[in-house]
This record gives sequence, structure tokens and C-alpha cells, in this order.
Amino acid sequence: MKRIITLFGVFSVLFSLQFIGGGFEAFAAGTGAEETFMNHASNGLDTFWKFTGFYNLMSNPSNLIMIAVGLFFIFLAIKYDYEPLLLIPIGTGVILGNIPFAEGYQIGLYEKGSVLNYLYFGVQQGVYPPLIFLGIGAMTDFSSLISNPKLMILGAAAQVGIFATFLGASALGFTAQEAGAIGIIGGADGPTAIFLSSKLAPTLMGAIAIAAYSYMALVPVIQPPIMRLIIPKEERLIKMKPPRAVSKVEKIMFPIIGLLLTTFISPSALPLLGMLFFGNLLKESGVTERLADTARNSMINIVTILLGITVGASTQADYFLTTASLKIFGLGAVSFMVATAGGLFFARLMNLFLKGDNKINPLIGAAGVSAVPDSARVVQHEGLKNDPNNHLLMHAMAPNVSGVIGSAVAAGILLSFLL
Amino acid sequence: MNLLIVDSMTWTITILGWFIVFVALVFLIGVFITVPKLLNWGIKRSLRKKNKDAVKEISTDSLELSGETNAAIAMALHMFFNEMHDEESNVITIKQVKKRYSPWSSKVYSFNNVNFPR
Repeated sequence: MKRIITLFGVFSVLFSLQFIGGGFEAFAAGTGAEETFMNHASNGLDTFWKFTGFYNLMSNPSNLIMIAVGLFFIFLAIKYDYEPLLLIPIGTGVILGNIPFAEGYQIGLYEKGSVLNYLYFGVQQGVYPPLIFLGIGAMTDFSSLISNPKLMILGAAAQVGIFATFLGASALGFTAQEAGAIGIIGGADGPTAIFLSSKLAPTLMGAIAIAAYSYMALVPVIQPPIMRLIIPKEERLIKMKPPRAVSKVEKIMFPIIGLLLTTFISPSALPLLGMLFFGNLLKESGVTERLADTARNSMINIVTILLGITVGASTQADYFLTTASLKIFGLGAVSFMVATAGGLFFARLMNLFLKGDNKINPLIGAAGVSAVPDSARVVQHEGLKNDPNNHLLMHAMAPNVSGVIGSAVAAGILLSFLL
Repeated sequence: MNLLIVDSMTWTITILGWFIVFVALVFLIGVFITVPKLLNWGIKRSLRKKNKDAVKEISTDSLELSGETNAAIAMALHMFFNEMHDEESNVITIKQVKKRYSPWSSKVYSFNNVNFPR
């Protein structure tokens, strides 16, 4: 049997060789269309070559830089566990959006009618961020905030980052709308940043979203040095009294009152705040567990995947690699630092007016930037470094979630001023 | 970067925007400091109505349960419900068991009748 197969193999190789060594020409001569055939073949190969990423890369080699950025994001997520749920979809999206292709065939994200363009619709029209907020609301426990409402003020103090960056961006020559969209990076809230930039400066959205998510992932790197710089050692050791137990009625009333108050003050933030408090009501009402479960698991996961991949893909090198993007990244870093410092300084200021065991550990001021729950985790970590028995996580969650509310209110205010 | 070149509108948005965020959250703080007081007042009122003589003075502290108290109550309930079983008569009956001879349980048959060699 082996011999038969070997013989068959040898014959088939010999048969194919005759085509390679002039068989095609013989075939073409026989049909009398030598030139046409050769032209077709070379044209086909030429078209195929022009469709490949290698050919298109030559016209825009900067795509390679962005692909490297995407790979770096994936590396950061896997190696250092920096926000992997965000950086893996975004990193993959960056690679996807920067594969060079021939334009005009409904392939790219910015080409009307392409699949990626349909998925990007949710980002462009601000559909995904409110859905993310719904999930966040359904998974957040506001009881630490309800038990000690005065900590909510730290969430407002940290929003100084947004407005300082707005000022800085205006001074750097951005238009008021662009400056507003850039400023929201200081809110340390990805969905809010995408929501606001899709309304105010759609052209800068890719850079703003990437900056916001990158700095959110880098919270454990950015915040601790600022915390150590601003808060003296003895203040870092302050132990806070445990939060009181919160009744179920209070937990149910919180999203209803919060929804009514905040949306009446800032109706432009209605999609974000409405969904946030709606999600929390689903959780706390106790009678819609199925809906709350879907909102905090399946739905937020699906939307995160779509949001991450499309935001990543929106960073096509020719749109993204500009001096404006560099400025946005610089301003984003400054805004994060200013926001953290704002929260910390205000916490120290609050301590001047508080007595006895009502004093707060000023480290929790850093959690006023709304990167939930990373900044609260950083506070807990720093607290434990100074005193292994001082657990600040629950206390830090209060300014952390109020930061989410504060940044959404700030986004609404900027929208109403600038739209 | 010269902040002086920024127009007055930008400064207005910056200052007013931050101020409104503060006001919104201070407003929320006020509401959430008041809500538990109102709830406690309602509970006290209903308790007084129910039992006028027994409940003369109810302190706010007695209405607020700490986390530790809640944990202790939850633990007690958990143990109570876990140890629950059917109600029994509590009558213990001792029945004398008579051992009748049966070859099936005879000890004789469970030994080999083999002695050690002498």
C-alpha cells in the first residue's frame, strides 16, 4: 500500500511540474489568449497584494506604532494585572483598528456600513456608557456613603481635577468644547469621559478614552507618591470609627432621593445618573434580583467588551497620532494628580473641623477620584502599609462612589454650559 | 501655557461648575443626614403609640444597631434555625432485649475448635 501511495505521489508531482515549466503557456497558446490570461493573473496578484496589510502599511507606517501600543496594553494587563477587563479589549481593539487595509470596502471603523462602524454607533451616540452605569449601580453598595454622608464632600473636592484640566486645555488652545471633553479625564471615569467626549468633541474621543482608561489602570502607580507627599505620617495612622449599620429603608431611599436631586440639579447627566441609581434600586429593592443580577454580570460584561474593542479600534494611527493626542495625554496625567491632591487636601481641611473619633484618615481623600474601586483599594493598601491593623477600604468606598456621582454631575454641568 | 489668556467664560465655567458640583453633593449630604433622623423619629412615634406606659424614653442609640450587634443576632438566628428539628414526646422508653439462643448468633460457631498443639 505504501508503495502505491509513493508512486501516486511521484506521478502527481511530475504532472504538476509540466504546468510550472511552461504548461500554462501551452494551455494559453492552445486557447489563443496568452496575453489576456497572463494579464489577468498578474492583475489578480497585484490586486491581492494591494489588499494586503503589508502593502497598505507602506503608505501609513505609523500604524505599527499603534499596534505596538495595543500589544503593550495587553502585556500590562496580563503581566501586571492592570485593569485587565479593560486593557485586553482595548489593546485588542487598538491592534484591530490599526491593521492597514484598502479603504472604500466597508472594513474600517470610520467607514459607513462596516460592522465595526455599527458597533461604534454605541460609542458615538453615547449608548454604552449609561448601560455601564446601570451595571455599576447594580453592583455598588452605597451603605458606607449613607452611614457617613459627610465623606461625600471628598467626592466633590476631587472633581477639581476636571475643572483645572478644563482651564489648562483652554490655555493650550483647545476650543471650549474640546477643553470640556479633555477635562473630564480628571473625573477618572471611563464611561463618563466617553459619554461627554462623544457629545462635545467626537474627533478627540479615541484619545480621551484611551487616556482616561490608561490613567485609571495606572491609579496604583500615580496615587501613592502623591498621598505620601501630602499626608504626614501621623495623620496616615488615624483610625476611623466603624460605620453604623444602615437600614434597608435607607438603602432603598438612597437611589430614589439621589436620582431626583442630582438629575434636577443637572438634567444633562440624566442618562448616566438615571441609570446608576436605577441599577442601585434594582439591587436594593430586593424584589428584582434577577434584573440586578443581569445588569451587574451579563449585561455589563457584554457592554464592556463592545465598548473596549470599539474604543480601542477608534485609535487609527492617522486619526490618533497627532500633537493634540500628546497634549491630551499630558493634560490627563496632570488632571489625575490634581484630582488626587484636591481630595487629599480637602480631607486634611475637614479634619480641622472634626473632633475626637469623628476625625477622618485623610488618605481616603484620594479615593474621591471616581476610579471605582481601584482608588479605594489603593487607599486600603497605603493604610495597611502604615498600620497593618488599619482597614480603610469601607471608609474609602464612600468618597469613591460619591466621586462617580460627582463626576457625572460635573459632566452634566459641562454639557449644559458647552453644548 | 498662560492661564491669563483664557477668556472670562472659561473662568466662569471653571468656578461655577465646581461650585455647582459642591452644592449638589452638599445638598445630598444634608438630605442623608436628615433621612435617618426622620426614620428614627417615625419609629419612636410608632413605638410610643403602641405602648404608652412601657416606652417612656427611647434614646436614638437604642434604635441604632451596630454591626457587631447585627452579626450576633444573625449568628444566633442561624444557629437556632439550624438546630431546629421535629417536635418529640420526650418520653424515653427502655425496652428490655431478650437474648434468645439462635445458632445464627451462637458464639460457639464462630470459633474453630482447634487447640494449640501441646
